Amino acid sequence: MQDAARPRTKIEVCNLTKRFGELLVLDDISFSVAEGEFVAIVGPTGCGKTTFLNTLSCLLPASNGQILIDGTPANPKRHNISYVFQEPTCLPWRTVRENVAYGMEVKGRPQKDIDERLDHILNLVGLTQCANLYPNQISASMQQRIAVSRAFAVDPDLLLMDEPYGQLDVKLRFYLEDELVSLWRKLQSTVLFITHNIEEAVYVSERILVLSNKPTRIKAEVKVDLPRPRDFMDPEFVRIREHVTDLIRWW
Amino acid sequence: MTAYREVVVRTPLALKLLPILSVATFFIAWEIVVRTGVVPDTMLAAPTTVTQLLLDKFTNMDPDGALLHQHAWVSIQEAFGGYFLALAVGLPLGLAMGWFNVAEGLARPIFEIIRPIPPVAWIPLTIFWFGIGLPGKIFIIWLGGLVPCVINAYVGVKMTNPTLIQMARTYGASDWQIFKQLCIPSALPMVFGALQIALACCWTNLVAAELLAADAGLGFMITMGRRLAMPEMVVLGMFMVGLTGAFIGVIIDRVEKRLLAGIRR
Ligand SMILES: Nc1ncnc2c1ncn2[C@@H]1O[C@H](COP(=O)(O)OP(=O)(O)OP(=O)(O)O)[C@@H](O)[C@H]1O
Ligand SMILES: [Mg+2]
Repeated sequence: MQDAARPRTKIEVCNLTKRFGELLVLDDISFSVAEGEFVAIVGPTGCGKTTFLNTLSCLLPASNGQILIDGTPANPKRHNISYVFQEPTCLPWRTVRENVAYGMEVKGRPQKDIDERLDHILNLVGLTQCANLYPNQISASMQQRIAVSRAFAVDPDLLLMDEPYGQLDVKLRFYLEDELVSLWRKLQSTVLFITHNIEEAVYVSERILVLSNKPTRIKAEVKVDLPRPRDFMDPEFVRIREHVTDLIRWW
Repeated sequence: MTAYREVVVRTPLALKLLPILSVATFFIAWEIVVRTGVVPDTMLAAPTTVTQLLLDKFTNMDPDGALLHQHAWVSIQEAFGGYFLALAVGLPLGLAMGWFNVAEGLARPIFEIIRPIPPVAWIPLTIFWFGIGLPGKIFIIWLGGLVPCVINAYVGVKMTNPTLIQMARTYGASDWQIFKQLCIPSALPMVFGALQIALACCWTNLVAAELLAADAGLGFMITMGRRLAMPEMVVLGMFMVGLTGAFIGVIIDRVEKRLLAGIRR
């Protein structure tokens, strides 16, 4: 479906290297992401996936190399970067609605725009009914949905997600993955999605980057050119899933 | 409804009666010990004597120069003056020290030097500077109340969830935005704790300050009782200090509940 000529390059990662003292975690990683692309990253435990995102989001300085967004070095103050963390990050003293608004407030958007955007997003993810509840009044999965909504709300140039649904049960995960895909398609953000779960990666993404063990490099790149909504039983789906599994099992 | 009524927790009889019994025994024994001369009345006053003085002191300025409620009012004024000043300075200082390296770097060493000195040890210097009036005592009380305010606010900010801070950073939040939007709300429960602790500190230091340098107040009344060899006045002073302190504690508790309900989390 996305066969039409690819839009321009949005994110470019050049020779990214990260060391913690002597420990080399990211070893000279280079790749690029097109505007509006959904890329999944899978890799063995402890290979440096979180470190990778932390470096991309400028939370950690890179030891070497650079990250370009629209051709300029990534900078959270200038670019719209959103990061959905592994653990829930709701502000307990703000309501659901105020939590979703947080990113936009930080960026100083006018109140009128914020309100319009909030109505739109809360409606898309079906959180309108609980807009005025506090995080301690809703479940953990809801909290993660708030984090996802907050991330999409700022119109991110780059949306980073670190196993956002790792803790949830299978059924709810399918549901939220569908929700994620539909948000992505409606809002056309560029997404980097980290996961342990290969099926999840094949289900949501357009391209999968497979990472090696430490020192981490990109070991392979797998295109997922399947129509949506995707079907877990589809032979092509199963083939890609097994291909990626083999790539990881090699270690 | 009826099902609940059956499991209503009743206070056991022992817990209702025994407190009355023990308090009554305590006062009666005290009275007897003094009346029979086992403890001479130059050392301790009987409860009845103290009660008499209590009633008398509402109308009689002698021998210490003020009525009972006047003493209490002086003490309360001093305590709250010092207390509010301590909150006004200590809380912002502690909050800032918890987040801004400049504030921590500048204020922390001085704070650590001053902190272990008991406020009472400042009394002689204070008398040089302010005499024995209201400002000097407010200064002592302020010093004592400052410490818990700074520490609690500081620790409260340090307890801010680091992932929340990372989250804000990726949205491009400035240091000031993070301080205002994340650190202060995170610190609030600790700050409310400081309200109580600081008040207890202030009240304790107040009495100590009045014992040593004052011309009015409950602590001063205790000192006068000693100078005039009137144990009943000493006991009355002690009793009033306890009663007023407990009363203020109840008020602060109410205020805190009200405030906490206002910022429901
Ligand atoms: N601040 C740090 N200092 C030193 N070493 C670190 C630091 N952070 C991460 N590491 C090391 O870097 C490696 C990668 O860690 P990271 O958390 O990025 O892995 P991960 O792929 O996200 O793991 P998981 O799949 O469990 O989430 C680990 O071996 C870890 O010990
Ligand atoms: Mg991780």
